[in-house]
Amino acid sequence: MFIGIVLAGLLMVPLAVRDEYYLHLFIVSAIFVVVALGLNLIVGYVGQLSLAHAAFFALGAYVSALLFFKLKWSMWVGMPAAAIVTGCVAFALGWVILRVRGHRFVIITVAFAEIMRLVATNWVDLTRGFMGLPGLQIPALYVPGIGAIDVSSKERFYYVVLAAAVLSFYICYRLVRSPVGRAFVLVRENEVLAESLGLSAFRYCMIAFVVGAALAGAAGALYGHYVGFVSPDLFNFSYITIMLIMVILGGKGTLIGPALGAVVFTFLPELLRDAAQYRMVIFAGILVVATLFMPRGIIFPLVEHLAPRRWRKNHGAA
Amino acid sequence: MKLKFCVVAVAFALAHTAAAQETVKIGVVQPLTGPVAYDGNIYVNTVKMLVDDMNARGGVLGKKIELVVEDGACNPAQSVNAAEKLATRDKVVALLGAFCSTSSAAMMEVARKHKIPHLTGISTAAQLTEQNNPYFFRAVATTPMLGAAFGGELPAAVKGKRFAFLVINDDWGRSMVSSYPKPIERAGGQIVGTEFFQSSELQFLSYITKIKAANPDAIILAANTQHAVALSKQIRELGIAAPLIGEGSWTSDSYLKLAGPAAEGVYGLVEYVYTIRNPINDAFVKMSRDKLKDNPSKFAGAAHNGIHIMVDAIRRARAADPEKIRAALTTTDYNGLVGNIRFNEKNQAYGQDVYLALVKNGVPEVVRTARIAKP
Amino acid sequence: MFDLAIFGQHLLNGVLIGCAYALIAIGLTMIFGVMNIANFAHGEFYMLGGFAAFYLVSLLKLNYFIALPVAVLLVLALAVAIQQAIFKRLRDAPVMTTTLVTIGLSILLEHVALLLWGPQPQVVPTPFPTRPLSFFGIYTTPLYLFSMAVTAALIVVGHVLIQRTRMGKAMRATFQNREAAALVGVRIDRVYLYAFAFGAALAAAAGAVLGGFIPVEPTMGGIATLKAFVVVILGGMGSFVGAIVGGLLLGLAEALGAGYFSSGWKDAIGFVAVILLLLFRPDGLFKRA
Repeated sequence: MFIGIVLAGLLMVPLAVRDEYYLHLFIVSAIFVVVALGLNLIVGYVGQLSLAHAAFFALGAYVSALLFFKLKWSMWVGMPAAAIVTGCVAFALGWVILRVRGHRFVIITVAFAEIMRLVATNWVDLTRGFMGLPGLQIPALYVPGIGAIDVSSKERFYYVVLAAAVLSFYICYRLVRSPVGRAFVLVRENEVLAESLGLSAFRYCMIAFVVGAALAGAAGALYGHYVGFVSPDLFNFSYITIMLIMVILGGKGTLIGPALGAVVFTFLPELLRDAAQYRMVIFAGILVVATLFMPRGIIFPLVEHLAPRRWRKNHGAA
Repeated sequence: MKLKFCVVAVAFALAHTAAAQETVKIGVVQPLTGPVAYDGNIYVNTVKMLVDDMNARGGVLGKKIELVVEDGACNPAQSVNAAEKLATRDKVVALLGAFCSTSSAAMMEVARKHKIPHLTGISTAAQLTEQNNPYFFRAVATTPMLGAAFGGELPAAVKGKRFAFLVINDDWGRSMVSSYPKPIERAGGQIVGTEFFQSSELQFLSYITKIKAANPDAIILAANTQHAVALSKQIRELGIAAPLIGEGSWTSDSYLKLAGPAAEGVYGLVEYVYTIRNPINDAFVKMSRDKLKDNPSKFAGAAHNGIHIMVDAIRRARAADPEKIRAALTTTDYNGLVGNIRFNEKNQAYGQDVYLALVKNGVPEVVRTARIAKP
Repeated sequence: MFDLAIFGQHLLNGVLIGCAYALIAIGLTMIFGVMNIANFAHGEFYMLGGFAAFYLVSLLKLNYFIALPVAVLLVLALAVAIQQAIFKRLRDAPVMTTTLVTIGLSILLEHVALLLWGPQPQVVPTPFPTRPLSFFGIYTTPLYLFSMAVTAALIVVGHVLIQRTRMGKAMRATFQNREAAALVGVRIDRVYLYAFAFGAALAAAAGAVLGGFIPVEPTMGGIATLKAFVVVILGGMGSFVGAIVGGLLLGLAEALGAGYFSSGWKDAIGFVAVILLLLFRPDGLFKRA
């Protein structure tokens, strides 16, 4: 029932919010919900700090952009293609690097992200380097029986990204509620015990890594087509920083936490536009303080605290 | 009853239209934060100063010009956000920005989508005018155009034949390396070495050593302040006495101060420098010294051109209507700070003067002038 | 055509930069070995050391040779504060927590520096004459020689401290086996404090000294951290000697690589090497005795 209210509310957003600018923020939030949910699988559920996630996001954006730019394939094909390609790259990468954990894993993901950035910047023949890939468009949606619906306006595209966010949420929900999800948590909490029970930590880390990356890739494709422009700037360190903030301050290891984190930390920087110079200082400060004193995040515990008792009982944190 | 309604409606309409058309809104997207914030802020402060002056003289079309400034931070996504806000919320009739070529490239798509004219006086990446975007205008010469204008003069200017390139490894640097050699060679010069450095590098000793081995008479560079300072110092520290010729911020106050003695004898290839002698610049330099307490830099010059060309177009369009302003821009024939500026069919400016400035005792003096040919 | 003077120049350049890399990396590897923390904010200590030196000399008009140690002490004080306020609480925290905190710290320090000093690069004014000196066609300046001398001296001092002092022995013991060290009475908190402060101080010293010819600006910390990590991985995480050898190796490899090969993809090669090393030779290139 509660979910019904939430969904209804989300569906009504374009009707209530007439200001194009705020609608734009809702759209970007929804895209980052997909990203955050994916990152949460690796960071929150399996418990490995991957700094490669933004690189998967950017890779997805590039895949879809290149398919559009060079082959004129529409976003409807580009997005799943981006998810698949990113998933495959994550699979190959994970196969090699998920055998190590801890510090070494983190540093390798950083190195991987840097390599991706160098490729995007220097393989000028493919990616146009610094000039990027401009002119990306949102294609019309072909519905059998109705024909082509133009979804490029903000009001309409919002529903497209909302659908993506809801779908991602559903996928993650089913995943974490399944035995796979329970295995995730066990691997995170006590890898030795998990192994002794016959659960391969490597296998579950791979699942989380690949699914998370595929979600990031799909989100990247949506983002690229929405913004209309893809460039190596997408590989900037600032993206992974904000993604981590969304997941960790949102409440890693829960589903609603990162989703809310994505919304809050899309709106907050824009609202703090005037105080731009202080913005990163504030965020970094919050990150340090929260990591020290609020390991469960800020947003989810807050929501939990304010929510009615029955909801709390039904939606315990993982 | 009906009459009363009509009166109220008309009054309302009048009030509404009057309020809506009280000012001519021009949007500005510049980096106010981030690595190039210093220069971005100079641009914005200069534009504000000039607009205040224009408004004191009556504004344009009988209305005041209202600047709406947003921070693009030299970041494409942020510049897009900023431009979107200016287009949809502030409903500006024209856009200026966004400094860095990648940000301008992203921003021009927003201009195209919302059909608002977009002018940049700073972004020099050649492909910007190759996007078939009728709403995008570039009021500055690109590196190939500078090369065509000055390349042939360099051997005579430095009295030498052997030239080496030390440029940043991006579009700008690569563009220099692909367009300068021909005019240099036609004038009897010879390219003896080419080195690219990454933006993230802090010391360039290896590249400089390699160039030293080629024994050039002059080194041509593409770099902005941060790299230019390190490059000049390290080149001198490694014992190379050959003159440096640079595109980028080689004549800016900040470079001259930071590089100190290493800046002496440096040649800057610039679209503007404050030592140009003409009445418009004399007035501009005076205003800049009075109000901003500083000599105008290259970016201040770009700001001057940008806002004047835009306002000139608005005046000729006779309406604060984006489409009309766009059309008026294409027929620009503007005489200003650096000479005459017109736009070709790709909305690329040509006809203006560009300068070779030599730093003597910390002051960049113009030693040669050339005119940009129609590309 | 092989020019001996040019080759010698490349070598000298490589040693100059390699010493700096080594100095920064020693601190990082110590913090890593003793505290088990991957300090992503390490480069910021380098940056802060540079700015401290700059302001001490140019604003407070302090004598250059006094300003250098004072700059290091200032950054050391900051490191102590950070250690006591933050890392002390994280003594047994998991990798993710400590890594996130250092990432957050890195961003915080970088942006506070941006706020305070703006994005403009600054060069530390030095009393050395700028005319280059040359030996057999190889050029250098008094400042470069001074930098090499100072960094080499600090490395030696560091080595002596680690090998000969009680605190040094305590650090080595903690690095080898923390539980055992605690059992025999080593005060782990003290060891952590010294390790972190020492590491930060070395990085700050590098920043102060190199700031004379490599301009400092607030966003440079990231690159310095990255280089330091590469060295630490090359030399083995936690190995003091590895950091020295790795630093020189990286400096020379970069100088000769850029000197004789193309520059574009060299960074990518470095990162691939890092990945391969972390996977297959986690103890670094050199098997430790």
